[in-house]
Amino acid sequence: MSTKRLEDKLNSGLAGKLGQIKVPDIIKRSQSFFGLILVVLAASIFCVRDGENLFLNPVNIANVVRSVSENGIMAIGMTLVILIGGIDLSVGAILGLTATAAADLMMHRAFGFGTTVIAVLLLGIAFGFFNGLISTKLSVQAFIVTLASMSIARGLARFWSGGIGIPITYGNEPNLAPQAYGILAERIWGVPVPAICFLVLGIIFSILLKSTRFGRYVYAIGGNETAAHLSGIGINRVKIAIFTISGALCAIAGMIHAAQLSQGSPNDGIGYELNAIAAVAIGGTSLAGGKGTMVGTLVGALILGILDNMLGLKNVNNNLQLVVKGVIIIIAVVLQKERKAD
Amino acid sequence: MKNLRRALLILLALSMLLTMVACGNNTPAASTAPEEKKDTPPAAEPKKEFLIGMSQCNLGEPWRVAMNDQIAAAAAQYPEFKVVFSDAAQDNSKQVADVENFIQQKVDLLIISPNEAKPLTAVVKKAYDAGIPVIVLDRKVEGDAYTSFIGGDNKLIGKKAGEYVAKVLGEKGGNVVEVKGLEGATPQQERHDGFLEGIASNPNVKIIASQNCDWLRDKAITVMEAMLQANKDIDVVYGHNDPAAEGAYIAAKNAGREKEMIYIGIDALPTPDGGIKSVMEGRISATYVYPTGGKDAIESAYRLLVKGETLEKNVTLGTIEVTKDNAAEIYKQFGGK
Amino acid sequence: MKTDTILRMTDIKKSFGNVHALKGVGIELYKGEILALMGENGAGKSTLMNVLSGALGHYEGEIELQGKPVRISTPLGARNLGIAKIHQELQMVSELTVAENIFLGREPGTCLGFVNYRKMNNAAREYLDTLELHVKPNQQVKSLRVGEQQLVEIAKALSLNAGILIMDEPTSALSKGESQKLFQVIRKLSGEGVSIIYITHRMEEVFELADRITVLRDGELIGTVKTESTDRDELIRMMVGRTLKEIFLKEKSSRGEEILRIEGLSFFPPDYSSKRRLQDVSFSLHKGEVLGIAGLMGAGRSELFECLFGVHGRHCNARMFIEGRPVAIKNPADAIKHGISFVTEDRKKQGLVLGRSIGENMSLPLLRFFSRLVFMNRIKEKESWKQQIGNLKIKAPGAGTLAGELSGGNQQKVVLGRWLLTDPKILLLDEPTRGIDVGAKAEIYQLINKLAKEGMGIIVISSELPEIIGVSDRIITFCEGRMTGEFIREEATQEKLLAAATLREVVKANVN
Repeated sequence: MSTKRLEDKLNSGLAGKLGQIKVPDIIKRSQSFFGLILVVLAASIFCVRDGENLFLNPVNIANVVRSVSENGIMAIGMTLVILIGGIDLSVGAILGLTATAAADLMMHRAFGFGTTVIAVLLLGIAFGFFNGLISTKLSVQAFIVTLASMSIARGLARFWSGGIGIPITYGNEPNLAPQAYGILAERIWGVPVPAICFLVLGIIFSILLKSTRFGRYVYAIGGNETAAHLSGIGINRVKIAIFTISGALCAIAGMIHAAQLSQGSPNDGIGYELNAIAAVAIGGTSLAGGKGTMVGTLVGALILGILDNMLGLKNVNNNLQLVVKGVIIIIAVVLQKERKAD
Repeated sequence: MKNLRRALLILLALSMLLTMVACGNNTPAASTAPEEKKDTPPAAEPKKEFLIGMSQCNLGEPWRVAMNDQIAAAAAQYPEFKVVFSDAAQDNSKQVADVENFIQQKVDLLIISPNEAKPLTAVVKKAYDAGIPVIVLDRKVEGDAYTSFIGGDNKLIGKKAGEYVAKVLGEKGGNVVEVKGLEGATPQQERHDGFLEGIASNPNVKIIASQNCDWLRDKAITVMEAMLQANKDIDVVYGHNDPAAEGAYIAAKNAGREKEMIYIGIDALPTPDGGIKSVMEGRISATYVYPTGGKDAIESAYRLLVKGETLEKNVTLGTIEVTKDNAAEIYKQFGGK
Repeated sequence: MKTDTILRMTDIKKSFGNVHALKGVGIELYKGEILALMGENGAGKSTLMNVLSGALGHYEGEIELQGKPVRISTPLGARNLGIAKIHQELQMVSELTVAENIFLGREPGTCLGFVNYRKMNNAAREYLDTLELHVKPNQQVKSLRVGEQQLVEIAKALSLNAGILIMDEPTSALSKGESQKLFQVIRKLSGEGVSIIYITHRMEEVFELADRITVLRDGELIGTVKTESTDRDELIRMMVGRTLKEIFLKEKSSRGEEILRIEGLSFFPPDYSSKRRLQDVSFSLHKGEVLGIAGLMGAGRSELFECLFGVHGRHCNARMFIEGRPVAIKNPADAIKHGISFVTEDRKKQGLVLGRSIGENMSLPLLRFFSRLVFMNRIKEKESWKQQIGNLKIKAPGAGTLAGELSGGNQQKVVLGRWLLTDPKILLLDEPTRGIDVGAKAEIYQLINKLAKEGMGIIVISSELPEIIGVSDRIITFCEGRMTGEFIREEATQEKLLAAATLREVVKANVN
């Protein structure tokens, strides 16, 4: 009984009043946007030097959106996977593998731009399909399958290139990369091409989730697999498709990565899966499945990027940056749980 | 209770963010230099304070920790210098972002030790073209879009190590296993090439196995264990840095075979866990001082920024061979405790 | 001698939300007697025993143990008072040994904190000998047969010095031989002064074992009788006799031609599954007919529906004819294509995606129909949704309301709305009015009427006998996986149905 009285006291105090501020329903529903605005405001206010706003200028914004693009593209696939109640730990390794493959095909095997893109996409698709097939037909949990394929992809990548990064130089000779590939590192009207890719893919998959039959399948399977099964939905087919999509998106991210660094290295992408999952979680998608939006993930990726940027501009110690990121993720996820209880 | 929890969380997030950015290395208050610095002729009133950004590639290596420490110590001598550090933890993308942040902050000088040459070339060029002078330490970038490169002569060091081995093994010659650094890094290649040159004089000296340990001691233990298993007859372990040699020693000790071979390392840091101490304690037979160049970088920075001199494009730092004969003396000389 | 009251429960009331599970029930238990507790599903037996065993915590009313008033609010509290419950689903840790399970949490220890295995095994052996259970104390429980595991649970209760033993359907998983063994043990314990409350549906057991019988109905005490002075019919009358509060507007519907025929359906669930095996079920359904399936919980009726709907794939064998033509249904998509719709028993766990809107839930089986190429045709959907919400009188702010926010009755209507959208020929309804208030129930009965009049073939599973009699044209009964009886509406009474649902003999009906 006494704890209840204590609760009432706290609730009526300032802290309680703060929490009872009538947050309009629209902000409640788009909690991740709220977070984004918060972070942008914080960055704009704190990253000022000599009267100049380090954050809010076109060059920096362009840098930020470019740096979130790879993670963002992988997070799109991750969103779909998490929505149906799974997880994909192999995304970083597939990025490394596809980056290496792209570099090798162009530099050592005289592949052109188009053929490279198709081949690398197929590689990513193959891995994704593998993940989907094993987790459905052999009933192995997604966590385990993708953990294993993470190792397989990483090993393949290192084996393929002999452990070293393959540098990419552009030119017309057969042992040089096609000029067209360089577009992935360029900017169009100041906007980095990877960001354009991210935006386009983000829009496509948002529409997919919201307005297509496939999107309904995803939410149904994630929300109540039994109910979906009893409604005649082919569960396995959808799951395999989703893992395949994730693999393909990693391939795209891998190609961008290779272009950005002018090399395809099998050691790249280590730990990227955690960033992708963080973006998805911050964006409001529940890791239990069935709940979340693509837009949320896009915002989550941006929040992560802006956070990194802000801490970097203020020269916060690198290790503290990791701590901050971890705490922010926990807070974002707990706040999402609050929303569910509303 | 639910509202309370939410409120507390929001407050926690905000206060954390506030402390983080407040504790960040804030830039100094408005300097005396006017904003239109670029437009005024160079002979205008000199700046009182300079912001230097140091982009390190991997503080997981003790040698790089020493580099940063030496930079900080040297900069402490000059009150007009403020140095801010970033660490990319071996991730190329992160280091690119770190440099971009420095460019955003309009640092007066960029010092960088790049993780790999090719991926960092473009962003370093961006800084250079934006008017920020660039000092490259230890690992190179491609092209010449930088002000000055300061590094040891890895080829020379490798050659000296090879010559030492050739001499020690004598006419009989012997088997060498090589514990190499990170494959994509230029020092690794050069130390390897130089070593080959050094042993060329003795045709009976052969490298029978070589593996990468990425400059890291724990990786060195693992790769050395494998090489021990595969090769029963080893005379010399050539580690590309002291941690590599130490790791190899530990692996050999675990297998009970440490007395069968001698260990060569590179770095010779005057720290309690460094190569010089190791020579004094009899584990490593020979190591070579690989100067970090940190002090030289700051000296060059002073000459460039304050005194307005031009820097040499390439500064090669020398080396000293450290063996049992001179280890104690060198240790004291470099201020080891 | 057997009249010392050891336990008296007076005026026990317990509600779960709007549902009044116990409306003031009292029982009296004598020392050393075997008291049978009987009643239909939902009569309140389990709830009452949960109160007694401390599983429920809060309750109204008084409990007296040996004359002293006590308050039982936790299972540990009940245990300390000497009350032990043997659950229907055995609560053993299968990887541990017999002795470890008996002394779980109370292991005798050495001074150093280690478990004293010798002491524990010896103590366990004593109890095992009392029960004449010939297993080794250090055998793993998972290697024992179910009957033996049950006796281990009893041993555990004995080791707790239980004065009162509650047994809930103990023979449901036992063979004839094991049951007999159990009865021996129970009689022995009773002779030694342990009082036993025995919950069961099986009449034969009651007459074989019990000294007295207490009957509950609808959360109320109907009466307590001595076994020797009562008979089957009286017990059934006590369990079932209620006034029909609900009015069924059952109109005489014209039975059309045969729409579904099942021959020789059998279902062999895999070992890890807890589902009931079905043996040789055959029946038919006609257009415009409502076929009711009566039986006790666990009789296998839901499993029948699941088989009809293709949920169990190859585990289920049957010859199935729809409109006279043979069909093979291997998965739910097949079933839907053939015009079968299945409204499941558990709308939350199997029917609805609680986090999505009413509308999305309704569209679920028809996504292909509602889409053009890949994109959803929102306009078409919204029209259909509006129609169903109106027809079924679903009370919600709009089609966009989340399914999880609706009341039970409205949730059930959403599921019905979904399946009605598919325009089925055959509608399977599994406990359609469970957990729903009276008003909504009546609406559902009206709906069933209407659909039948329109020519749909409907099969309804219900555990409420008045409901199933009121709603069906024809009723079949199930008992433990077999079809045991068939009745037309006019000849069906609650007593007959309950008898068929509990008997192992098959009753044939006069179907014209």
